[in-house]
Amino acid sequence: MYDMSVTKIVEIPVVTTEVPIGPQHPALHEPVMLKVYADGEEVVRVDVNTGYNHRGIEKLCEKNTFYRDIFIVSRVCGICNAVHANCYVRALEQILDVTPNRRAKFLRVLSMELERIHSHMLINAVMAEIVGFETLFMQIMLDREKVMKAKEILTGNRVSADFMIVGGVRRDIDDVKKEKIKEILLKLKPRVEYYVKVFEEDETILKRLIDVGKINYRDATSHSFVGPPARASGVRIDSRASDKYDAYDEIPFNVVTRNEGDSWARMMVRWSEVMESIEMGLYILSNLPLDGNPVPDERRLPRKFPPGEAFTRVEAQRGELTYYVMSDGKSQNPYRVKIRTPSFNNIVNSAFMYVGYSLADVPVILTSLDPCISCMERVTVIDLEKGTRERIPFKQLSSGGKR
Amino acid sequence: MSQKPQTKKVDYRLVKYSPWLVHFNTGACNGCDIEVLAALTPLYDPERFGVKLSPSIRHGDILVVTGAVTKKAADRLKRLYDQMPCPKFVLAVGACAIDGGVFSKSYSVVGGVDRVVPVSAYIPGCPPRPEAILDGVVKLLEAIKKGEVESYGCD
Amino acid sequence: MDATEKLRLVEGFALEKGVLKPNRKLFIVKPEDVRKIFESLVEKTGYEGFYLSTITGTDLKDENKVSLDYYIVLLPEEETIVIRTYLPRENPVVESIIDIVPGALAGECETYDLLGVLFRGNPFLKRGFFTPTELAEKNVYPLRKDSGV
Repeated sequence: MYDMSVTKIVEIPVVTTEVPIGPQHPALHEPVMLKVYADGEEVVRVDVNTGYNHRGIEKLCEKNTFYRDIFIVSRVCGICNAVHANCYVRALEQILDVTPNRRAKFLRVLSMELERIHSHMLINAVMAEIVGFETLFMQIMLDREKVMKAKEILTGNRVSADFMIVGGVRRDIDDVKKEKIKEILLKLKPRVEYYVKVFEEDETILKRLIDVGKINYRDATSHSFVGPPARASGVRIDSRASDKYDAYDEIPFNVVTRNEGDSWARMMVRWSEVMESIEMGLYILSNLPLDGNPVPDERRLPRKFPPGEAFTRVEAQRGELTYYVMSDGKSQNPYRVKIRTPSFNNIVNSAFMYVGYSLADVPVILTSLDPCISCMERVTVIDLEKGTRERIPFKQLSSGGKR
Repeated sequence: MSQKPQTKKVDYRLVKYSPWLVHFNTGACNGCDIEVLAALTPLYDPERFGVKLSPSIRHGDILVVTGAVTKKAADRLKRLYDQMPCPKFVLAVGACAIDGGVFSKSYSVVGGVDRVVPVSAYIPGCPPRPEAILDGVVKLLEAIKKGEVESYGCD
Repeated sequence: MDATEKLRLVEGFALEKGVLKPNRKLFIVKPEDVRKIFESLVEKTGYEGFYLSTITGTDLKDENKVSLDYYIVLLPEEETIVIRTYLPRENPVVESIIDIVPGALAGECETYDLLGVLFRGNPFLKRGFFTPTELAEKNVYPLRKDSGV
């Protein structure tokens, strides 16, 4: 049945990623995300099935009004909710030809950058746990709580911010809140510098991450990788720098790239982006424009949408996120909403990355692509030689299957 | 699941003092999942209640379910519930787990955990804060101690 | 090869030109030219000259056609262009580009399962991968306007 010498099959089930809208895999028996065929400990082939949660969001968007869809769309992914809402709202603004004022743009960027910080810290904490560094996981999660507090001060909620609306944002901040957020960012900065140092110097992390899952420039572009996995291979793509939406044309920042292309480079790109985001946050708070109320009057928002279409891109935490919105001008609902999340490209097209590495490297590579954290499920290991089938926790796979 | 639980004086000592949680995501946006994950970190200190994440379903006491139940995930959920040893309780976390949330009218969503397995407690929110999740767990434990909650499917 | 030369390459195939908000150059081409465009892009600029960002299909029921968009990002300028083609609604078939651009796997599989566009030559297309099995068995494509879901 297997043409190569395969002695083990590992099924890594995942019920969720942030890919949710389009692709999903109510496959054959179980939603299996990665099916890894191994000869002993070496991976010979990987099938990536999309075991995602298909909630039929694109169809759902066609049944609700344009404005209600803002709330549906930000629940595509809880970790990326600000960028989803932002991309969709900007597509609507393109169709309606509305521009928010500068203060609203700055506040939008602040909420998106805070989200970037918390998401990158989360995936780095998960990576630390995968390589066995539990203490570091707990430490990073503790510092991440500061960022959640800052998000709550800015938008009113820790996770689902619901901060974006056509024409601006939904609430303004005053000086007291500004000072509090600034304080939090200043306290966070030395902690992040310490974590960067740990990732650069700790033996365990270096041994487990360097040269694992290496991809070069050509692999990254031909397989449509986006975000930190592409930037870690030298591909200088960043929607913030190219499209310059919202206030990114006024706020100075650097696009971080590296050349190593391995899992370590991918995590380091994320830490560098956290440092950049902290600097951007501080710049925004010190230079917040005073050109008027960033909150539009919701009663005055246009009810009738003219026919038109727009394609907006946003730099989400995981990469380039694109929205295509089409309005036929005949109803209050959109005709088509297409969401292409970055994990869709990164995870589905990644099957070639695992071949040749050992089984224990598979969780490391998967985590370095930043799938959603609920992938910490139980994994089924089918040993063809011994004829056994056992379930072990995902983390255990990374320690070579030993307790 | 429409009858009121009878107040049976069953001894749930093992669960009362150290409930082990098993987390299952049936198609969530991950908002609730990161709050469940955050509830297990030092800032909220779940271990003072004896709450821990269980390594496997066979050792779990409380099944924490997030997400609007998609049709494929519904089978897995039922199977997971059947594999849990008695006494077992189910916690539905988040608006989607309660009745489908914003996705209730979609073609691939069943809509609510209680359409698949009996639920012992609901924690509303989108997503609920980690404090709310821990509060829900503690309230469930109190109710178990008083015998107000029954473990279904056990006898 | 810089951006203007790449654009001229694509323009050579275009039946019509336009602009998709905000500022994306749009080229409408014949369905059989889609594969030729990618072949010549790879040949003239190499894989390092562009990446395929998204594939989108829309069911235009009233006009009896399905529109298929390919969004390409030219590197290193990072400019997004759109290649659009129209397929007949009854039998939407187009040549797959998966052997030229492996990154098309995700988009082609999704558009096949949700809309019913057949990408000839793609061995990974499968029904019931994304849609719930009961709908797939009834041959329903959820994103079609007359699917009834």
